[in-house]
Amino acid sequence: MSSQHRRPFTRSTRILAATASLAVAGLLAACSGGSATVNSDYGFATAEQVPDSTITIWADATRQPAVEAFQAAHPEIKVDLVVDDGSAGGSATFQTKIALADQAGDGWPDVVFSTQNNDASWASKETNGVQAFAAPLNKGYLEDDFLSGFTPSALDPVTVDGTVYGLRNDLAPVLFWYNKALLDEFGYDVPKTWEDYSALSDKLAAEHPGYFLGSVGDSFVGTYVYYFSGAAPIFTLDGTTFHSDVNDPNSKKVTDLIDHMVANGTLIQDSLFSAEFVAKADHLVGMPGAAWYAGALFQNPDNVNANAGQWGAADPLYWDGEDKVTGNVGGGVWYASSHSKNLEAVKTFLEFIVSDPSTAGTGGLPAYQSAADTWLSDQAASGFFAGDFKSAMSTAASSVWSGWGYPNFSVETAYAKVIVPGLAAGKTVAELADEWQKEMENEAQVAGYTVG
Amino acid sequence: MSAIDTGARTGSSKPQQWFGRGIAGLVVVVFTLFFIVPIVWLLLAPTKNGRELLLGAPFSVGGLTQLGDNWHSLITYQDGIIWTWLGNSALYSLGALVLTLLISIPAGYAMALTEFPGRRLLLATTLIVMLIPSTALVLPIFLELSAVKLIGSPLSVILPFSFFPFGVYLTYIYFSTTVSRDLLDAARIDGATELRVFGQIAMPLATPVIALVGFFSFVGNWNNYFLPYVMVPGRKAPVQVGLAELLSNVPQFNPTNAASTTIDLPTLALATLVSVAPVLLIFLFSQRFLVSGMTAGGTKE
Amino acid sequence: MSSNAQLAAGPTRGRQPAGASPRRSKPTSSQARVGVAFSSGYTLFLLVFGVLPTLYAIYLAFTKANAFAGVDNFVKVFTDYRFLPAVGHVALYVAVWVASLIVLVVLLALIVHAIRVRWLSTTSRFIFYIPGALAGASSVMLWLFILDPSVSPVAFLLKALGNDSFVDTVQVNQLPFVLAIIAFWTGAGGWIVIMYGALNNISHDVMEAARIDGAGPLATAWYIQIPLLRKWISYMAILSLAAGTQLFVEPRVLSQASKGVVPPDYSLNQLAFLYAFKQNDFNGSAAISLVLLVVALGLSVFFVFRGGLFERD
Repeated sequence: MSSQHRRPFTRSTRILAATASLAVAGLLAACSGGSATVNSDYGFATAEQVPDSTITIWADATRQPAVEAFQAAHPEIKVDLVVDDGSAGGSATFQTKIALADQAGDGWPDVVFSTQNNDASWASKETNGVQAFAAPLNKGYLEDDFLSGFTPSALDPVTVDGTVYGLRNDLAPVLFWYNKALLDEFGYDVPKTWEDYSALSDKLAAEHPGYFLGSVGDSFVGTYVYYFSGAAPIFTLDGTTFHSDVNDPNSKKVTDLIDHMVANGTLIQDSLFSAEFVAKADHLVGMPGAAWYAGALFQNPDNVNANAGQWGAADPLYWDGEDKVTGNVGGGVWYASSHSKNLEAVKTFLEFIVSDPSTAGTGGLPAYQSAADTWLSDQAASGFFAGDFKSAMSTAASSVWSGWGYPNFSVETAYAKVIVPGLAAGKTVAELADEWQKEMENEAQVAGYTVG
Repeated sequence: MSAIDTGARTGSSKPQQWFGRGIAGLVVVVFTLFFIVPIVWLLLAPTKNGRELLLGAPFSVGGLTQLGDNWHSLITYQDGIIWTWLGNSALYSLGALVLTLLISIPAGYAMALTEFPGRRLLLATTLIVMLIPSTALVLPIFLELSAVKLIGSPLSVILPFSFFPFGVYLTYIYFSTTVSRDLLDAARIDGATELRVFGQIAMPLATPVIALVGFFSFVGNWNNYFLPYVMVPGRKAPVQVGLAELLSNVPQFNPTNAASTTIDLPTLALATLVSVAPVLLIFLFSQRFLVSGMTAGGTKE
Repeated sequence: MSSNAQLAAGPTRGRQPAGASPRRSKPTSSQARVGVAFSSGYTLFLLVFGVLPTLYAIYLAFTKANAFAGVDNFVKVFTDYRFLPAVGHVALYVAVWVASLIVLVVLLALIVHAIRVRWLSTTSRFIFYIPGALAGASSVMLWLFILDPSVSPVAFLLKALGNDSFVDTVQVNQLPFVLAIIAFWTGAGGWIVIMYGALNNISHDVMEAARIDGAGPLATAWYIQIPLLRKWISYMAILSLAAGTQLFVEPRVLSQASKGVVPPDYSLNQLAFLYAFKQNDFNGSAAISLVLLVVALGLSVFFVFRGGLFERD
């Protein structure tokens, strides 16, 4: 063969080889830059970062002032706040909107606030091939130093297999709120146990009809304030097994208490945020409720709007002879999106929103220890609340019952569907209890849990 | 009462006839109230504040100042997101309107006045698809568009909105009943091309049907909720979807909202009114046409 | 609920096309070209947004993770504890709504048609029609106020019926009636106007003859007017039936407003929505959608070929 024939052949081989190596290089480059690779600094696959891009935040209206405080403190970060319902009442707004964004492959927010504590159970999982929405926070993204500043066990509901997926906004333990002015006027003592509370309701109903001791019109009250606080196993989780027992002695005690007090008129059925409740609020003698009632009800000019010294906080109620435990009403969680294009700004935001002493907790007891200390001291110093406010809060915060479950559906939906309309129609919780349990078990099954 | 002629023109006024008229009159009055009371209430609500709305007489009139306040709180809500929503609604409805007319009018004309292979099949399919509620196809269309990654784009709303078989059928009926085939044939014999026949003979006659198709397309799309709700979440939502979002900021309807930045009931009422304002205006302006029964083809009033 | 568009969907009155029947004239190739060209845009949309989504829904409904799954998805959906209650809710609502539509719309159309004072007749028709401007979320939003005894202008009525709070009003067993009232308020006016138009088309001779025969208004309505309206009535019933099964926005907004007392899985479409966006099960969602689609399609095909109202050429 002559060299003339050879030359073109070798040239083409060379071109082929060059092309091939380019292609391989390209592939490699694509891989390392692609979304499939885990960012070793953060522990999840990050999107391509765009410095100084606007961060989108979904939160409810209650969180708006805190977000605005952040904007004032950090004018260099552009924020787009989208106000939603915070998934209140188990509406699953967060989950369905993320599912829509997952389908669109676009439109994820950078930060989400949810009033529910159970979202980590789904937000930590990949769905239909789309990366899990919630960014792992303790795999390098946030410093351990910062995370360890949270009140012990505050992050438990948002921790899945050792990975933290969200930051608690506030602790929401249930304690007992009382109207000191009215108790003094009527000559009653602050109840210490649920038995005291029940006895007080009888006295109140007999001697001062029209005055009342709480409301069961909200799905978060019946479930968290009464059943959770009463250590009633109506919503527990063991691995993937869901368990609900309305006939457990503890559950029955709570059910009887509610039925008894609804019957004697000291538990009303208006939502805590309804106009009807606000109109009756001056007849409210006391009620068990979450720490965030402080800002949301008593110090809220549009709600109870208490005078300084009129209301006080006392230790949580407990059952005589039982463990001194209490319930927890949400407390809210901030999530960072794993799809965020500006993780630096998100980090700054998250750290500010949960720990800045002026806004953390958004009216409740901050979950971040240092902010909590400041808030408690400020409240105590202002003397707004009667009683030993600081001690009551601390006692409540450290005695939340550990038996409650956080599956990927909310306890509130079944309560809203069965109990709220049932009570309105004049039935008792005892009559509705089995139907209620069945509804919760059905929901658990649909959500993929074994019912046991 | 005497306005109701129940057929007794012969002049007798037997008691039972008066009774019949009385009953008929009563039915009309009751239903007139049923239809009008909510609207009147809605028009009055934004002139009051939350307290007046809850405690005052339902049909009391508030003040203009209060209306101004409510307006202000609506347009400042989330930096005027109501304008974004209205803009989105306008983009989607008008975009779809233009596309619908561009698609439906020629198609209806072709089906009515030309002969081409597959015409009868197309007509039969149109009839069937036309009667299927648009809601039935929302999730299938969503699944389809999400497979081609079009969710979130304005096109994912405008394109499905522009598929309007009823408009095609309306055009078809209109052309086949008002434009004579002989007229077109005569023009053709005179040497006019098919395009000229359409442009110079059919189109000038088509104004009423363009208005009719445009009316139904715009009204239907402006008020659509389900399709844009799944297709264009977030800031791209139209006002109907936005309105439902507003609901979650009304403390009455959302248990955990205790902030001062919430929406009052009168503001929500105002938002409802604003969300339907364009359609309401169209209704008012086309009042004569709407009540004439034209939509049913009745012309002899 | 029936959209305005569908209200007018049957404008033929048996009137023959003014021109000759299209079949008569001989198609020329240039006509065929223009016909195809003019209808091609529409045909494309028909395929992409009518036929293709249906086919895709069928594909999804019979597969799981892209593998053929037989009727597994349907079995899963049918045995879901929420499915039968949703069917029950929707069926009851549709029954109440369609029955009230038929009775009241015909009654009101007959009465309005008998009004001889022109402005009175026009005004009442307009008042009946105007709520149609408030469809979808807006109408539910308005009805939230009307249904809440604390702000409602008809609070006395609600309380007389034993509804002391919003939760009372929207309790699940009376919800079909509440939804039917909302739907009637929004949609009935359009139908009344259509029936009125149809009544206008009954020839004066027929009406006059009845009068001479001594038929009273009731007899005229019963033996002459209503039989002549029959096609329109069945048209209205079929359309409302098909639209009613698609119930979505009304219970959704009510669920949001009642904090879950109206469950988020009240209707079938809501259930399909939850399957897709809460459970991430698009196959199950497609199965429900397909069932709903088949119902609507069946009603539609039945009516087009048996109803005889449409100009089918």
